[in-house]
Formats: sequence, structure tokens, C-alpha cells
Amino acid sequence: MTITRRHLLRLAAGAAAAPLLPPAAQARGPLPGGRFFDATELALLDELTEAILPADAHSGGAHAAGVAAYIDGRLAEYDPELPPLRAERAAWKDGLAAVDALCRASSQQGFLEASPEQRRRLLEALAAAEQEPHSDAEKFFVQLKDWTVHGYYTSRLGIHDELEYQGNTMLAEFVGADPAALPPKGGPR
Amino acid sequence: MTVLRATPPALPEVDLRRRFDAVIVGSGAAGGMAAHVLTSHGLEVLLLEAGPRLELEAELRSMEWPYDHPRRGAMPSTAHALTLNEYTIREPPYAQGLPWKNVYSYVQGWGGSDYSKNLVVDERDHPYTGTRYAWVRARCLGGKTNIWGRLALRLSDYDFKAKSHDGYGEDWPLAYADLEPYYDRVDLYLGISGHPEGLAHLPDSRFQRSTRLNPAEVLLRHSLARSGRVLTPYRAGVTTDGLKHNRYRSRCFGRGACNRRTGGCDIHAAFDSPTGLIYPALDTGRLTLRTGSIAREVTVDPATGKASGVVFLDATSGRSLEARGRVVVLAASTLESTRLMLLSRPPQHPNGIGNSSGHVGHNFCEHVMGPGVSGFVKDLVGKPRTLDDGRPGGFYVPRFRNLNQRRSDFIRGYGFEGGSGASMFPHTEMTGFGAAFKKQVREMAGATIGMGGFGEVLPRYENEVALDPAAVDRWGIPVLRFNFKFGDNEKRMCADMAQSAREIFDEAGIEITDARSEIRTEGWSIHELGTARMGSDPKTSVLNQFQQSHDVDNLFVVDGSSHVSASCQNPTWTIMALCWRSCDYLAERLRKGEL
Repeated sequence: MTITRRHLLRLAAGAAAAPLLPPAAQARGPLPGGRFFDATELALLDELTEAILPADAHSGGAHAAGVAAYIDGRLAEYDPELPPLRAERAAWKDGLAAVDALCRASSQQGFLEASPEQRRRLLEALAAAEQEPHSDAEKFFVQLKDWTVHGYYTSRLGIHDELEYQGNTMLAEFVGADPAALPPKGGPR
Repeated sequence: MTVLRATPPALPEVDLRRRFDAVIVGSGAAGGMAAHVLTSHGLEVLLLEAGPRLELEAELRSMEWPYDHPRRGAMPSTAHALTLNEYTIREPPYAQGLPWKNVYSYVQGWGGSDYSKNLVVDERDHPYTGTRYAWVRARCLGGKTNIWGRLALRLSDYDFKAKSHDGYGEDWPLAYADLEPYYDRVDLYLGISGHPEGLAHLPDSRFQRSTRLNPAEVLLRHSLARSGRVLTPYRAGVTTDGLKHNRYRSRCFGRGACNRRTGGCDIHAAFDSPTGLIYPALDTGRLTLRTGSIAREVTVDPATGKASGVVFLDATSGRSLEARGRVVVLAASTLESTRLMLLSRPPQHPNGIGNSSGHVGHNFCEHVMGPGVSGFVKDLVGKPRTLDDGRPGGFYVPRFRNLNQRRSDFIRGYGFEGGSGASMFPHTEMTGFGAAFKKQVREMAGATIGMGGFGEVLPRYENEVALDPAAVDRWGIPVLRFNFKFGDNEKRMCADMAQSAREIFDEAGIEITDARSEIRTEGWSIHELGTARMGSDPKTSVLNQFQQSHDVDNLFVVDGSSHVSASCQNPTWTIMALCWRSCDYLAERLRKGEL
């Protein structure tokens, strides 16, 4: 099953993937393949990560932070000789295919072609099972969110623009409340 | 703001034909302190370290941003850190049957594991057997002091005289008054940050400037004070004012780097044994350091029965070599020193050197961890961002159980370590996705607070390590077999720890997001103690109050194995104060020709 889905995705990639993309993705120009994912997979991953951590009025989202490329790069360096790493790589490809297949089942289109409303409904259904995932797609969502969160909040954009992190700098004085100015002292009871 | 960058002393070839005044095994807190004190007394000292000397600045790179590292600080994919789940469902040796090329203990599962991977041991090379135990070891110059948690606490007579207090176990053969001057010396020589609270059970140190408290911690300090309890800024073994006598260590500049990774400070404001103790000792010209020297056994002079030196393996050539000394000082860490005593079986000491009592390996104790609580302060949600992690630690809540009022369900006590506020990596455990999730992470980032307990584990004779009859390490040396389990007192204490953690947050009006009650695997605290304990009676103890073997008077064991009980307070500062006191005694006895 999964092989077939993956096969279909690859076929789609080999054909004209770009015209099928929604306007937002098209505006970013043609998508190259990654070091691990092919072009369609990478486009799908990019859209999924952006759906999890989207651009908003405060800062850019996962797309601008390059989260999909980061995940792709990490997986590309996974040693396929090691069974758990081989399995994790396969789980990513299968997971993307499963999400796409789920989307086709519910809305007759792949995730990249689906409307924002169709995407939202699909992801909400997966996220509802976040605490106790059962299906492959639900388990994949947990993995996807975990990596998206990691990739985003360790990125330049996530640390500086989104969180406005102030630390990792040299301080002349410690900041905060001086304990000497605070009551009181305690003792054994 | 000036960061000191002194070049570490060069290490010349070691002439093993020399007979040194003292041969020290191990270069962590205890071995470094022994080297400092003995060389300061004018003695000629050889220090053997099993691991390499690493260029720590190049390893730790404390201020490198995650996005400037190709894996955002993670180890290569072929390396694996053991998880709590693996420690729970598997048994030692943990690396056996796992597919990864390198397997490390759980501390490598924290952030920034790529920066500490060369400091800690690979479980494949250093297996152990027996009961479940999360054993964390660092084999390099300085050992675990290169990545320690920095909480530097004194013990008190509530600990040293615990048996007199509640009837359990043994009193230490010394009192707080005996050790107080040595705690002072350690404070002044190495630097310690903290705020005086005047507590009898957690004596104040000779503090340099304290770090400060974040708003959530101020709230909690006020709330605890209403029930007579204390929250104090993290008492960190960190120099916050600098040390005029040490050219290798800068003062703390609040970079917060030590909390983002397994640990480590590349400007050495946090104490580490190489820059704090060993390099200054090398500068005296009386210390000889040999790294890559894996101690195999303590040798004994057949004529006198005294220790004559240490046989060790050269890590590069595998050759067996011998170092000779008038005194042998073991400081290889609690369990490695114990292993070495058990490995040393000359005819005079068939059960291991210094083990006529049969107590070597026994009375194993430590700290129990697991229960804790996380939450947030509602008033801080969505507030503008502030700098909250520019310090070497958050806060400490000292023990409040079984001091003047006794409980019926357990003896001894526990303290909480915690922190709060915005950090480089936000709290992201919320469910959901999309703009709402992102906003929630952003608004909660400065509002979170959490703490976890460290409880005293009682020493029990039956909790022990012994040599495994078959398993050996990479060097062919027999490994330790653990027989160690928490008992009923620990379990009842942890139930109270979990409950009081929740109550403390509830009373402060902190919204709880996670309350943990499960006990983590034995070993998790990285505070192994007690397996060669001190005592007045040679039948029930291994060492006297000066950490000198009852059986072999020129053998000293100066690390945590000598501790009679674990206290609930972190052991590093006590290890160093005891070692200083013992080495003063050792030098005096040696000077008088009595060893």
C-alpha cells in the first residue's frame, strides 16, 4: 500500500508537480528536490511544517525558517546501514504518503492541491489523536510536529524573531531581583 | 569584560623510574584537590588519568548558536543516548544488542550532546552488569567536573550526626566543626556564588556575589516563607567575582550556556578540576600528570604490606606500566575507586586492598530523583521578553523534612532544584498546531517554572557493587556488577516529595502543567557514594576520618566512596573539603615519616 502511494507521489513529481501547487507555493517558484526527499515530498513537508508553525503578524513561520530543508538534511545524513535509522527514514516517506492518501480519501485531492479548509480539517483530525496516536498517519503527525518544533525553535528566525530571545550574551551584572532585598530568612521546623 | 585565556601547561614525558611522594588515581574533584593540596605542601606528586586531556574550549564552544551547528547541537545519527525507557525495560550491559555505533548514558540525550560526546564514556567500551543503574561516567582530565551541575552545598551535623538524630545507620567520624574550615578554604580557592540564609541544616558558604531571582522565583520565595521554608538562588560552584589567584578561570558573565547543554563552561567560571586545581598545581613544578593511564591495581610491597604504587595500562600502546609512590591516593570516582580496590588482591589482601572489613562495595548510597512539578505563573503570560537565563543556575529549596519535627512515614529529607523564565529553548509541550500553538509557545515562554527533588538514599549493606566474575571492559579489566535498589524509605519519601511539590506550587498560585511522581532509575542523580565508608570501627568501615585505609596506612581514598551517608545535599563541595582535610593530614604524617 505505502509503496504504491509513494510510487504515486514520485510519479506526480516526475510529471508536472508545480501547476498542481496552490498559489502560495507557486509564488515561491519551482521546488528542487532535497538531499533525501524528492521535490514533491519536500514540497509537501514544507507545507506541513508551515501549517504547524505558520507565519503570523509576529514573525515568519517554518517555511521562512527553512525547517523542511533542515529535516531533509538531517535525514540525508542518516546512515542507512543502521536499522533504526533506515526505519525512521522510511517512516518519513511513508508518513508523508499516508497524509497525502488520507487527504485524497477525504477531499479527492492530494494535500498540495487541497484547499486551506481541507488541509485544516485533515490536520485537526490528526492532531486530535496527538496524545494517543494509533494510525500511521497519526503517529507521523507526532513525529512531524516534534521535528518541526525542534527545527523552528533552534533556527535563527525562531530564536531571534519569534521568541526574541535575549540571552547567550555577556553580562556585566546579573539581572533579576536581588535576594538581599527580599524577605525573609527561614529556619528548621 | 575580559575573558582570561591562559595556555594550559605542557605535559612532558613522565619518568616512571622515579618514586613519587604520592601517586593519585583520577583527576576529578577529588584527584584535582589532592594534587593541589599535596603539591602546596611541597610534595612531588604523580597524577594518573585514564582518559585524554581534551581542549575543552574546542569541545564545549559554549556560545555557539544552535543554527550554526549542522545538527543543531545533536550528535551524529549513528550515536545514541540511552533513554529513561531503555533504562527501565532493559538491563545492563545497556549497549549490548543495540545497533548504534556509539551508545552513551542518558545525559547525552539532553540538548547539545555533540559538545560533550568526547567527555563521557561509550557504554560499549565500559560495560557493567547486574541490576538497573544509570551510571554516568566522564573519562578525561577533570572527569565529571567538566560538565557537573554546579550546585555546591555544604552538609551539616543533621547529616554528619544523622544516626544520633534518628537512629539509622552510622554517624560520620567527624563533625561539621571539623570540616567547616575546609569548606571555607574550598569556597575561597575555587569561588562559590550564593546568598546567605542562616540555615542550620544548610550552612552558608563564603559566598561571592549571588545570582538573582526571576519574577516567578520571587513569588515562590515569598510563598514558601509563609510556611517557614526557603527558596534561595542556586548556590553555584562558579566564580561570580573572579579569582585573583587563578589565571585560567574567568568570572561568570551570565551567558547561561551551562544550562543549555549537558554542562560545561568554556571560560571556566564554573569550577572544573583542570583549570581550578590541576593547572595551578602543574605551575608549582611539583605535579606530574600522565593521561591515558588506566589504573589496573594498587601494588603492595610484600615485605611491609604497604601500598607501593599503581599498575596501569597505557591507553595508546596497551602496555602495562607501574608508577611508584610512598603514598597511594585513590580518587577515581566512588565506584571506580571501589572497583580498583576490589581488583587489587595481593596475598595480604585476598578480598581486595583495604577490605578486611568486607565493606568495600557495600553501603552504596546516593540521591533519588523523579518527583517534581512544572507550571506557569498566569500574570507572566504574554509579558514582553526579558533576559531570564543569564546565570549558572536557577534556585534551590533546601530540605524541610525531619529537621525539628519528625515524620512517621520516612526518615531524612530532600531538596528541590528548579528554574524559571525564558530560555533559548521554550516550553513546547502544548498540544495542537498552527497560529494558536505558536502564539501559546511565545506567550508562555517567560512564564514557566519547574523544580525536581533530590532525596537522601539510605546506606544499606545489601546495596553493593562487586566484580563481575566474567564480564570485562575494552581493556580486559573485570567490570562492576550492581546489586542496588531503592528501598521503602526512598519510595515513601518520593511519595511525599511529589505531594509537597504540588502543594508548594498550589500555595504559590502557580498553575501546574505537569506533576511527576515516578521514581527514575537508580543512578540518575550521578551522586554515587558510600562504597568505602569512613568510620571509627575498622570492622564496619574501610577508612578513618582522614580517608586513610584502616588496613594499609599509606592508602587514602579521597572521593565520594568515603561518605558515610548521602545527605540530600549535593556532594561535590563536601568531597573537596574532606579531601583537603585528609591531604593536610597525609602531608603532615608523611613529613614526620609516619607513613
